[in-house]
Amino acid sequence: MKFQLTDKPIDTNALREAVLDPAAGGFASFEGWVRNHHQGRDVASLEYEAFPDLAEKEGDRIIKTILLEHDIIAARCQHRTGHLQIGEIAICITVSAAHRDAAFTACRAIIDSIKSTVPIWKKEHYTDGTSDWVKCHACAGHHHHHKHNCNA
Amino acid sequence: MKGLLLIGGKSTRMGSDKSELILRDNITQRERGIQLLKSICDDVFISTAEETGDHHIPDAFGNIGPLGAIASAQQHDPASPWLVLACDLPLIEKEHLNKLLESRDASKVATCFISATDQLPEPLCAVWEPSSATAVKQAIESDKRCPRSLLIGLDAHKLPSLGLWPLANTNTKADLIEIRARLDHTTTTKQITVSYFAQLRELAGTPSENIETQSETPAGLFEEIRAKHTIPLKRKGMMVAVNGDFTDWTHILKQGEEIVFIPPVAGG
Repeated sequence: MKFQLTDKPIDTNALREAVLDPAAGGFASFEGWVRNHHQGRDVASLEYEAFPDLAEKEGDRIIKTILLEHDIIAARCQHRTGHLQIGEIAICITVSAAHRDAAFTACRAIIDSIKSTVPIWKKEHYTDGTSDWVKCHACAGHHHHHKHNCNA
Repeated sequence: MKGLLLIGGKSTRMGSDKSELILRDNITQRERGIQLLKSICDDVFISTAEETGDHHIPDAFGNIGPLGAIASAQQHDPASPWLVLACDLPLIEKEHLNKLLESRDASKVATCFISATDQLPEPLCAVWEPSSATAVKQAIESDKRCPRSLLIGLDAHKLPSLGLWPLANTNTKADLIEIRARLDHTTTTKQITVSYFAQLRELAGTPSENIETQSETPAGLFEEIRAKHTIPLKRKGMMVAVNGDFTDWTHILKQGEEIVFIPPVAGG
């Protein structure tokens, strides 16, 4: 599996080593970190929950598609589930390629795609003790002007 | 009582004019709506975008949707109550409209049913009294054009829900499949496993349940679940999976399938 869910801290070095290749001349990675604020609110922690079977299937499909569409050599991704504290790594993507352009572009394409279709949700716990599922409120209730913000 | 048939919807999700659909009695939804209204109202009008003609009321406030149509009718005859009916409700029957008129409270601004799924008022199968005209015009002037939001804020006479299906509309292809199966009496009973994750798991209060359903598609099943667990999420913007992979809302459900409803995702 090129895309994996894990409930343990992500070993970014292992993900880097997984894409090493003698033909590679460039490496790009993206890490998504748990940050202490979102849309003006103070965030204390984040909780990630996935629909595991489909998340891994879709994540894998995304990476395989990117491998076909971009001139890269290898790519891996791990995404955390469970309760994460500020500063923890929620997602790590690694990409190797012969040249840097393809590595940067593919890495960016992978995170964008994951954020739009992989069934993973996050609940923000705020410092004031309240919590909220991110984005879900956008399709809740009787709203007309949906704002789908997603700031990694 | 005057009747107003709304046919002006943009039908963007269906990709065709809903009022011209023929779903029952070999007549268009438009013609069926007129016949229904004529059977219980003194005089019936059709709301149109611009088209003028006998018993047509063109939108006097521009292309702003149903509230503009209601305001135009109220301008046409300020003294009469208006029974407003959307043309895209194929399962609505004369008995439902009779119930609305029999239970009507003319001292309130409107009489309406509440929705089976979210218990909010249904503005497009409702009697709008002359006393609502001021609020209707004010809402339009302040760009608050949603008739439902307006009724929520007004003192309307609210009748119990008619159930999940009588006010079902033909907004999407999946809605159409559900409605056709009910009109043709071809619905079948099947057991479906529904698994819930994240917010839906919290709202449903369970990670998984077996549901016996008559719904033909995940869309119908989701409406049942919204009503059952009072789930405020709407189908629009959501995805759905069957047996572990994405599918369309028009997928035909089969005995024993496992369904997962997927609200907007938020990984990364």
